[in-house]
Amino acid sequence: MGLDWVTEFLNELWDFTVQSLTDNVPLIVGSVKAVVIAVAIMSVVPALVWLERRLMGRFQVRLGPNRVGPFGFGQPMADTIKLLFKESIVQSSADKFLFHLAPAVVVFTAIVAFAVIPFGAPFEVFGQRIELWGANVNSGILFVFAISGMGIYGMVLAGLSSNNKYSLMGGLRSSAQMISYELTLGLSALSVIILTGSLNLVDMVEAQETLPFILIQPLAFLLFFIAGVAETNRAPFDLPEAEQELVAGFHTEYTGMKFAMFFMGEYINMVTMSALVTLLFLGGWNSYGVPIWPIVAFSGKVLFLLCVFIWLRSTFPRIRYDRLMTFGWKILLPLCLLNLLITGTIKVL
Amino acid sequence: MFDLATVFEFTRDTVILTVGITAVLASLGVILCSSPIYCALYLISHMICLALLFLLCNAEFLAVVQIIVYAGAVMILFLFIIALLGGEKEIQENSLERSIAFGLIFILLGELYLSATVGPTKQIEGKINPEMFGTAKAIGLELYSKHIVAFELASAVLLVAAVGVICLAKFSFAPLKRR
Repeated sequence: MGLDWVTEFLNELWDFTVQSLTDNVPLIVGSVKAVVIAVAIMSVVPALVWLERRLMGRFQVRLGPNRVGPFGFGQPMADTIKLLFKESIVQSSADKFLFHLAPAVVVFTAIVAFAVIPFGAPFEVFGQRIELWGANVNSGILFVFAISGMGIYGMVLAGLSSNNKYSLMGGLRSSAQMISYELTLGLSALSVIILTGSLNLVDMVEAQETLPFILIQPLAFLLFFIAGVAETNRAPFDLPEAEQELVAGFHTEYTGMKFAMFFMGEYINMVTMSALVTLLFLGGWNSYGVPIWPIVAFSGKVLFLLCVFIWLRSTFPRIRYDRLMTFGWKILLPLCLLNLLITGTIKVL
Repeated sequence: MFDLATVFEFTRDTVILTVGITAVLASLGVILCSSPIYCALYLISHMICLALLFLLCNAEFLAVVQIIVYAGAVMILFLFIIALLGGEKEIQENSLERSIAFGLIFILLGELYLSATVGPTKQIEGKINPEMFGTAKAIGLELYSKHIVAFELASAVLLVAAVGVICLAKFSFAPLKRR
């Protein structure tokens, strides 16, 4: 007798485990995808820093980092190690909790926003349909806007909690700028939504199978891209962190890895914005006859847009703050509304 | 020995309960916290919890709009004002209003108890297309077919409010000199 009940219990436990595993395949696949996307997007950041520094070097007729490793590949690694081992300074007048919370909010929202970005057509492995996106949310584009809107809090909180006038000004500027340009961003995306009749990003890509929307909506593309650059706080719209007037703005007081987290957030947002532009206007993973894998087509377009981001940074001087707001509200927004009106009229007719 | 359906129900219920309790705690934080910044943050977390509750009811569009409009746009303005005016801690003191507020809380709790004793909740009956449930399309169809008058009136009111704000803000100060 004795051990019968133990084996019986183990059998039942085994059955239960197998049963729950087979029942929860979507959940497991989803978790794996979430981890893969999060890790991939975070490891893109050092590569992007390397790319930016190298390209900026070329644009400014110098070499850029080339000492650590071949082509300076080791430079981001060395920078990361340096940042990790720096002393983390929190000044005594700061609000400790918010001071620590702010960079976490920035990175978290940046990664979460990428969850709904599809980067390739679905395919089958072992009879299981693998879709190359974290989640196919029905109102995907709204989700991206919602989450990136939450990212503003990171900057505002950093500005507020630092107890420093420069930081406060930087935080306020960033929130004002991002609210203003979010309107342009949303309204220019709306013309694409009108064309496809869906908020779903996958549907949008499938609607561009024959023709990318940049050819149908060139103005909307331009407006979306400009607003996207402003939304990610990149030069020439990097007013919140203007070095000359604000001493780097909302992250003046941050050191070490917390400082680096703001940069991580910025670079991840850059990737997300490039991916959005690709999905909305450049036809996503459609390669239009060029024989390459869909995912390669998508990554190629994103990489090109990232290079354009860097190109803009090294070409244009920073815009004055009042000009920036005037530009956003008096030029971009009316143009957006006009474009929307024309698109809607044509669609109805 | 283990029933999967009950396990699933259990996890779902746990998630709903956790989100709900967090929402209640966050809303308590809004009124009990003395620092305005933290009050605003509690309000944001409360709104995010509400969005999660919408999401658990499969109302995806509503959840996203809740985050964009309330947690995103409205609360950022709150934080903006707090940052501009300075968020000093307020001093809590006992007053008549405070005791009235506590009385109201107990009345509300009593009402909650009463409504709980009424009986089990019932699902709403009516024609609901399960495929379209919670999507932007369903809401749009409903809004632009049955409630078009109310919708247009609301948009007119909002427009009037926006114009009014611009008038109030623009003409009460002398115009700035152009450099």
